[in-house]
Amino acid sequence: MKNQFDYIIVGGGVAAATTAKGLLEHRHDTSILILEAGPEIIAKDRRFWWDYITRGERPYTFTYDQKFEADSTGNIDYQTDGVRVKAYGGSTMHWGAWCLRFRPEDFNLFTNTGEGADWPINYEDLETYYNDAEAFLSVCGDDNANWVPRSKPYPVPPFEWTAADGEMIKAWEQLDVVYQDGDINPGTKNKIKSGKMPIARYRKCMTTGTCKYCPIGGRFNAQYVLDDLKNDTRFINFEVRINAPVHQVNASSKSKIESVTYTDNLSGNEYTVKGNTIILASGAYNVPKLLRASKNEFWKNGIGNDHDLVGRFVVSHSMLNVVGKAPSNPNGWFQEYDFPTLMSHSYNTKEHQKKGKIFMFKNRTTPNVDIAQLMIDGKTREEIDEIVYGEMTINIQAFLEEKGKYSNRLEAKPGKDRFGLPQTTVHFSRTEEEMKNANDRLKLLEQIIEKMGLEVISSRVDKPGGHHTTGTARMGTSPENSVTDKFMKVHDTDNLYVCSNAAFPTGSAVNPTLTLTAMAFRLVNHFIEKQTNQTNSKTNNVNKRNTIQECLSGESN
Amino acid sequence: MYTINLLNTQFMNTELTSIGGAVCNETLSAGLIFAEGQSLTHQNKEALWEIFEAIGASWANTIYNSNNQRSSWYEMLKAKTENAPNYAGEYVNAIYVINELKAMYGTEDAYKKLFFESGIDNNAPPTTRLAHCKIYVVNEFIRMQITAGGFKSWGTKYDGEQARNYHGFLGGTRYNRTPRVRAYNPDTNNHKNDQE
Ligand SMILES: Cc1cc2nc3c(=O)[nH]c(=O)nc-3n(C[C@H](O)[C@H](O)[C@H](O)COP(=O)(O)OP(=O)(O)OC[C@H]3O[C@@H](n4cnc5c(N)ncnc54)[C@H](O)[C@@H]3O)c2cc1C
Ligand code: SF4
Repeated sequence: MKNQFDYIIVGGGVAAATTAKGLLEHRHDTSILILEAGPEIIAKDRRFWWDYITRGERPYTFTYDQKFEADSTGNIDYQTDGVRVKAYGGSTMHWGAWCLRFRPEDFNLFTNTGEGADWPINYEDLETYYNDAEAFLSVCGDDNANWVPRSKPYPVPPFEWTAADGEMIKAWEQLDVVYQDGDINPGTKNKIKSGKMPIARYRKCMTTGTCKYCPIGGRFNAQYVLDDLKNDTRFINFEVRINAPVHQVNASSKSKIESVTYTDNLSGNEYTVKGNTIILASGAYNVPKLLRASKNEFWKNGIGNDHDLVGRFVVSHSMLNVVGKAPSNPNGWFQEYDFPTLMSHSYNTKEHQKKGKIFMFKNRTTPNVDIAQLMIDGKTREEIDEIVYGEMTINIQAFLEEKGKYSNRLEAKPGKDRFGLPQTTVHFSRTEEEMKNANDRLKLLEQIIEKMGLEVISSRVDKPGGHHTTGTARMGTSPENSVTDKFMKVHDTDNLYVCSNAAFPTGSAVNPTLTLTAMAFRLVNHFIEKQTNQTNSKTNNVNKRNTIQECLSGESN
Repeated sequence: MYTINLLNTQFMNTELTSIGGAVCNETLSAGLIFAEGQSLTHQNKEALWEIFEAIGASWANTIYNSNNQRSSWYEMLKAKTENAPNYAGEYVNAIYVINELKAMYGTEDAYKKLFFESGIDNNAPPTTRLAHCKIYVVNEFIRMQITAGGFKSWGTKYDGEQARNYHGFLGGTRYNRTPRVRAYNPDTNNHKNDQE
């Protein structure tokens, strides 16, 4: 078995797939090994799909963290169980595929508010990579949207608002929610329009709405990218090993990372493989755990952890959730897609950063009536009609931005899961002021529901969780304030990189994966530039040597 | 007697149900009936199709009739009997059950009893032939029927627009000209969006 590669990538999710694809497209014979701890779940399988339709079963849920494998301490419960897919393709196996850019102020949170952190790069540094990421993920979005600056149109047109979205749009207009001052052009009082949710769906998408197990591969899933790379005859040095949890990163000096050690879960054997460059793309949970577990004579507290920052500043989103009830639903509306179509960024602007930005959307499943369940329960047509046209609930939700705090930390808990990965403890607390801000934001959502003529029947802040965990190996300007540098390279190493939400200094109010994919493209570009510089300096050396030889032999052209 | 039944229903469907005879009430273990390597005959499929059609007729929700769902239904049957775990045993069991019900009550009432009066707890493990038939066959057929277009008849009652999409409905490529869902367009004065 080959044990020396140009690049070793730990983890087989979207971060790994994007990076591998970028490197291979640039140089087809680049040798890359991806090590994925989990198994491979069969995709686009008709039987699995029918089991999902008829029984609600999904074939990958057995890879989720179990409750007993994840502890949460602090004054807020942090949800880990049932969240991540640990398998070939990672969590894109079941993600919602909402693809939103961070906004310019997200890169300057500390400068703007005195809290959290700044990124060592700006929105402008990432803008062109956002275009690449949108093309790669096949994002369906609205070119008329003005909530974030962009230099290229979306690659695919948007999904339309559903009829049931209309009432919320009108309520937003009446409450001036759409007329908040954005900072697209500061001072101009630009109006931020209600938006159509940008979603990663390929053109072949059939809108069946069973996206948690798509029968045809209509929604982006990193699995498909990895399959394509494996099947592409140009990429002869590309390899993926599944059931292969990495438990140690090995260094030959302080700066030189030499290899990783993993276990083959099927045989129980342990292997060490060498890489010129090693990339940790194992997600915001397992990047910090792996760094801290990798103790050696050069890194006594784990690689990158001389300043005890690895795993700290963990943030996620809390979901704000308000449900309203109408006495009747004469149109028999339900949300006909399995994803949200309506969103607003009016409170996702710089002026709202101090208090905590929110990103609002109409929930993906309301209004809805599970007609089939009513039939299964033995209700007659007349009884079901009464329910379908009777009371209707509509749910508005928002992601609440959190700010990274030193004391909030994610770390390994003793013991391993069934894939050989360490279990988890998350220490997470919120200040009283943050709690108050969250409740104030809830009031706004309640107002919207009331403006729609609905009665508020529930209003709550849901717990944060592993869905959008970021910050655990954050980027920064020095080892004293961060774990990684502006190219996500672990400080004081030459060749160990992190390609993960772990490297994000802030989590913004929107989902992370488009930004992660843009960062992966930027990382690929960094590697290509590095390769070019090395080639140039080699060429220069060769040229120098040639000149010396020419001088010695007395020849010259 | 009442207390015992109540206790039983909490854990499994072992109580003597109010419908059916010896076949329906014969006890079975709750797991899928083992049938690896077995397949359905043409007659089996026709008998199962009758159950599927009866669902559409009982809820009056298939536009015209169930025939336009036939190919999807066959595809599901194929997927469920040609891959493990094999449903052939469940399907044959369902035929036994419906035959007994028909013999006891006549065709129309047999379906009425099976769909509306079975007494089966849909959330408990099925431990009778009748419960197996309801949970593994009828309930799954209902989900399939709604997915394949049975949802469409809801929406129109008060002159509303027919629903176009549902979780699982294969509506065709989104780039054809027909809108995929009942859409909201703020530029057109769509009175159906103005709730009274
Ligand atoms: C339910 C859900 C819905 C979501 N919806 C959205 C959405 O709509 N939009 C959005 O932007 N984001 C969404 N997200 C977030 C999104 O899924 C993640 O941002 C994204 O998948 C992260 O990709 P990744 O490649 O960094 O990590 P992952 O997808 O987590 O992949 C990492 C892989 O590494 C493997 N691994 C871990 N440790 C090791 C090790 N030591 N050795 C070997 N392998 C290892 C894991 O098994 C895993 O497969 C959602 C997340 C969840 C859970
Ligand atoms: S809408 Fe349908 S085709 Fe599109 S991703 Fe979802 S399940 Fe797949």
